[in-house]
Amino acid sequence: MKKDENKVVETNNAEEKKPSLTEILKAEEAELKAKRKAERAKKKGKVAYDINGNVIPDLNAKHVRGIESKKSWYGFYFVLPWIIGMILFFLIPLISSLTYAFSDVVPEGGYMDTTWIGMENFKFIFENDDTYTSNLLSSVGDFFTQMPIVIIVSLILALILNSKFKGRTFFRGVFFVPVIVATGVVMSLLTQSYGGNGAIIQLSSSISTDAYSAVGTGGGMDFTELLNSLELPEDITAQLNIMITDIFNTIWTCGIPVVLFIAGLQTIPSQLYEASKVEGATAWEEFWYITLPSIGQTLLLVIIFTLIELLTKSDNPVINQAYDQIKNVEYGLSSAMLWLFFAIIGIITGLIILIFSKTCLKRWE
Amino acid sequence: MTKETKLKKTVPFLNKHKLKETGANLVVSIFRYVLLIAISYIILYPLFAMIAYSFQARFDIMDTSVTWIPKMGTLENYSLAWKALDYPNSLLNTLLIHLVSAFLEIFSCAIAAYGFSRFKFKCRGLLFGVVLFTAIVPVQILVLPLFLNYQYFGFGYIVNLLNLIPGVNIPYISLIDSPLTFWLPSIFGVGLRSGLFIFIYRQFFMGLPKELEEASWIDGCNPLMTFFRVVIPSSGVVFLTVSIFAIIWHWNEYYESVIFFTNSFPLSVMLSSIRGSALHNLGYSDAFAAPPVSAACLMFIAPVLIMYLFLQKKFIQSIDRVGIVG
Repeated sequence: MKKDENKVVETNNAEEKKPSLTEILKAEEAELKAKRKAERAKKKGKVAYDINGNVIPDLNAKHVRGIESKKSWYGFYFVLPWIIGMILFFLIPLISSLTYAFSDVVPEGGYMDTTWIGMENFKFIFENDDTYTSNLLSSVGDFFTQMPIVIIVSLILALILNSKFKGRTFFRGVFFVPVIVATGVVMSLLTQSYGGNGAIIQLSSSISTDAYSAVGTGGGMDFTELLNSLELPEDITAQLNIMITDIFNTIWTCGIPVVLFIAGLQTIPSQLYEASKVEGATAWEEFWYITLPSIGQTLLLVIIFTLIELLTKSDNPVINQAYDQIKNVEYGLSSAMLWLFFAIIGIITGLIILIFSKTCLKRWE
Repeated sequence: MTKETKLKKTVPFLNKHKLKETGANLVVSIFRYVLLIAISYIILYPLFAMIAYSFQARFDIMDTSVTWIPKMGTLENYSLAWKALDYPNSLLNTLLIHLVSAFLEIFSCAIAAYGFSRFKFKCRGLLFGVVLFTAIVPVQILVLPLFLNYQYFGFGYIVNLLNLIPGVNIPYISLIDSPLTFWLPSIFGVGLRSGLFIFIYRQFFMGLPKELEEASWIDGCNPLMTFFRVVIPSSGVVFLTVSIFAIIWHWNEYYESVIFFTNSFPLSVMLSSIRGSALHNLGYSDAFAAPPVSAACLMFIAPVLIMYLFLQKKFIQSIDRVGIVG
């Protein structure tokens, strides 16, 4: 008897638990409707409904409804000082500098007396200043040849420094030295005071030429001397010299990108590599399918960073020329020179970054 | 384990595949060391050369047999560089102007970045785009209007606006030669390379687990208190990274300092003019300028280098863990 009773109860329960399909659908529909209604109401920000469409009095009290919006407002407070500063020390100066480029500027106490002259400044530069055009072309050209080289070289170096081997800490320490030395005056002083076209390699050789030429002897062992002693044709020697100085410059610019890349590489979980090893991927495939996609964001950061670094290099001829114009109180001309240069580079790199983030970053994610 | 496999494990040459692998590994590691040593040479050479030159006396420069270690040896270069740089004064200036603003920047950028990383507010995406834009635009383009702004400082253009009203004429204050020229932008988080710092901080904060902050919210801390009591203590790593970058870049800052200061300069500006004027004034001819210039360079780098050597180990570890990029 007892068993039978139990059975009956069980079947009853089962029937209760399993309503017919249509019922389920209906219930779901009703739920969805109520949800949508509640969402709509939420969007309007007036009244909160529960799932069944009833007004929830508690949620409509001010203090409860405010939490989310209050939280987002707090974010605004955190950013507010930056917004003020950005307007005062970035946006207004940026706009005024842009207007200088299109104006005849006469400094007067407290403000610049600007009269709008349209493209006259640019016309003047191109008609009367031959050096500017050539400087501009060479700077832009240099910029777009150096940028990929710096990025590729520093990525390779970072990959090497990220693998495990003896003395890794030492080499990482060494690679940070350019960050300390090369970002500033010391670098420009080395290049300017030891002569030459901005090459550290010339440190030794030009100290010797500096000092030795006074005495009239040669000496000191370095690459330039070595090249000269090989007695190759002069063209080749000169070309090799340029190449070597380029290598030196590149490595000295790579300091920070290498550090950034190492940081990026560290974030890749090692399981990915283990999995790929099990699957039998080659090192090349590992690089293309795991390493590169994982450091997409780093790559973006490095591009931005290298951009700044190369733009503001102290030996940039365009910037130096513009600086000379400031000294001559030709503020309009100076601004026009700078803006033209930065506009060209900004537009091209902006396009690169846009394409990069739209295609590569999206696919890699 | 069978005998054969055991043998193969102990004697790798019996395993052809393994032999190939070890051979390849050997080539790779030799290549790696050659490359790294070559590059380290490139990096360290100028540094060592500077050190060597800084101890050379005039006789050593003229002596062709001297390349590295001076025969005569002298400390005169250092005393000369000390005078030419006006070292104590300009060091003090650098500390007052640049070190202080570096520290201000470290905090202001962290605050802004926290806002960008944790809260969703209107125009967040747009504003963060502006952050990146501030990072890209070079100071050269801004320096002229900024100079005007500082020379005729009207408390954020308020005075400028008031003066537009006819009859009102409030005098401006000149901030030129005052460290405020660097402090003010740093306080607001738009100082030297602030955009980059905000970017680095934001990536780190986004990777922090939310639970801690939510717990402190529930316990009744407001976001600012949460930030100071929960977030800052758990993000020492990123603070170290940004501090080192900020201090080094401020230490080396030169372009704006030349323009915003007229009589008492920070070290970087003094160093940049050492060859042109300072040594001339001390009656030193150009031909023999290399040793004192080297000494001056070393004296300029020394404080940062020492700081870096102390923090190096921690810094490299932190670079490992910060994951500047998420």
